[in-house]
Amino acid sequence: MKNLGSKLILVVTGIFIFFPIYAATEFSFRSGATHSHGLAAYRWIFEQSGFLENLGITMRITTLAVVLNLAIMVPTVTWLHLSGQRFKRMIEILTILPLIIPVVALATGAQLAMPDFMQNSVYELSFMYVVVAMPYTYRALDIGLSGHSLSTLTNAARNLGASWLKTLTSVVIPTIRPSVLAALFLMIALSLGEFTLAQLLHWTTFPVWVTNVSQQNVMGATALGMGSLFFAWILLFGFSFLGGKSSMTVQEEE
Amino acid sequence: MSDSLEVKGLRREFGSVIALADFNLDVAKGELVALLGPSGCGKTTALRIIAGLEKSDSGSVILNAKDISGTPAHMRNMGMVFQAYSLFPHLTVAENVAFGLKMRKIGKTSRDLKIDSILELVGLHKHHKRFPHQLSGGQQQRVALARALVIEPEVLLLDEPLSALDAQVRTNLREEIRRLQLSLGTTTLFVTHDQEEAMAISDRVGVMSNGRLEQIDIPDVLYNNPASTFVANFVGTMNHIPGTQRGNTVTILGKNIPVKNSKGIDGSVSALVRPESIEVSRATGSGNAKIITRSFLGASSQIICQTPEGAVIQALMPSNESGDLHPGEEVNLSITLNEVLVSHV
Repeated sequence: MKNLGSKLILVVTGIFIFFPIYAATEFSFRSGATHSHGLAAYRWIFEQSGFLENLGITMRITTLAVVLNLAIMVPTVTWLHLSGQRFKRMIEILTILPLIIPVVALATGAQLAMPDFMQNSVYELSFMYVVVAMPYTYRALDIGLSGHSLSTLTNAARNLGASWLKTLTSVVIPTIRPSVLAALFLMIALSLGEFTLAQLLHWTTFPVWVTNVSQQNVMGATALGMGSLFFAWILLFGFSFLGGKSSMTVQEEE
Repeated sequence: MSDSLEVKGLRREFGSVIALADFNLDVAKGELVALLGPSGCGKTTALRIIAGLEKSDSGSVILNAKDISGTPAHMRNMGMVFQAYSLFPHLTVAENVAFGLKMRKIGKTSRDLKIDSILELVGLHKHHKRFPHQLSGGQQQRVALARALVIEPEVLLLDEPLSALDAQVRTNLREEIRRLQLSLGTTTLFVTHDQEEAMAISDRVGVMSNGRLEQIDIPDVLYNNPASTFVANFVGTMNHIPGTQRGNTVTILGKNIPVKNSKGIDGSVSALVRPESIEVSRATGSGNAKIITRSFLGASSQIICQTPEGAVIQALMPSNESGDLHPGEEVNLSITLNEVLVSHV
């Protein structure tokens, strides 16, 4: 009976998640009034100007956001666990702020606080995305580090001759690999889908471009949505595969 | 033998708590010294400062005549085994052992030979491809020991490495640590709160209290000739027999015995006497104590007696001499010592 209940929950959840995706995918393959199926909507996407250019911009922003996120968050959360326990409560509150502060205020703040050379670059969005993703990435890393005796592991690594940087890259990050990957996925998902900040800061990223062109063709818009979704999935699976392979070996000092 | 490790005047405070106060220690090359003491006495803090994992407020750590107080932990060439399991969970046994060698840029061929050799020594050569979660607690600590020894450290630091293990494994592993330490000749500092562990495998044992080294000596001297009441109480079982001190002698169980400490004081005291320093003989009439229990421990028997004043005294004597002693019997207790330590009550 208990088994049947579990299966039922699984089926209902599956329908809830996958039926809209199936429906949207099916709709995106429809062609015109006859409702025959084809790739017309997908061909339409590539005919629109700015597709590759804006996708490229978003990919660059995403890459920088991921690198920045790992470079800032992993050492910070590690330090909090090792010797900054007294600041942990304060940092936890700080990381919730991006959820509380309206995006409009964040965008205005970014305009006022960021140096000129960054405001003139589309990469200012990368910094903003790191801030906006902080509530999620901080918690993903925090949970990962809480599950290990971090102090003992880092002491052991230092005692065996590893510098702090080497300890971080060869011991801490591989030890909390699932949490680092979770933080990375969250960062990628947010960067690929974020619309409001980009629009407010007047940058045409891929999500902004998608919104603009979608107003002309409803099937094309659905095709774009599905294409973006599958692209994000492929990207995440790719990172997952790479992360899984590379973290199992210690970089040699040779 | 020249001193290998010398610690001079270490002091460390955590807020208002003094963890170490003028801590001094010398460990000779190839020697195994244990630091023994109750929780919070500063022994782990001392070990961490020696390893470079903690900073001292003052004092110095000298290794082979070189002051290494300012040298970072990763450049001290000291191996350490921790109380908590410290194997890197994402690496196999062989990769864990290889870690320190890789940091030292040892070539693969030489590295593999060293790994095989040390894993053979700790009896885990068949487990080199296993991950830490596939090993028992004892096996994990043996890998940690191999990992610490394979780098050929100038000093091996053991921070209560056996305390998380069950009794049988603990006994086996402590013998293994001693065997490896002797065969490799590694200078070793071993922190523990288990006196049996410390006495069993150490060349010398240092007893710590309140951030200071109370006494450091070979186990026999520490047990038979403790320098203070703290050491006497902490090491082994000790009777506190009420008596009266007059000047330099104390009267206990009807006998005057010279006192070793606190000389020239009059008043009520507790004399510290080990169970094996008390002789029990059957009284012909009324004795100075009555047997409460007799416990057979194999070669020896434990006799617990009570004096008419209510003091409970424990004696230890060969089983073949105590067979005719029974609970409820009147006995005479006598002290076999020429002098005793006293603590004022």
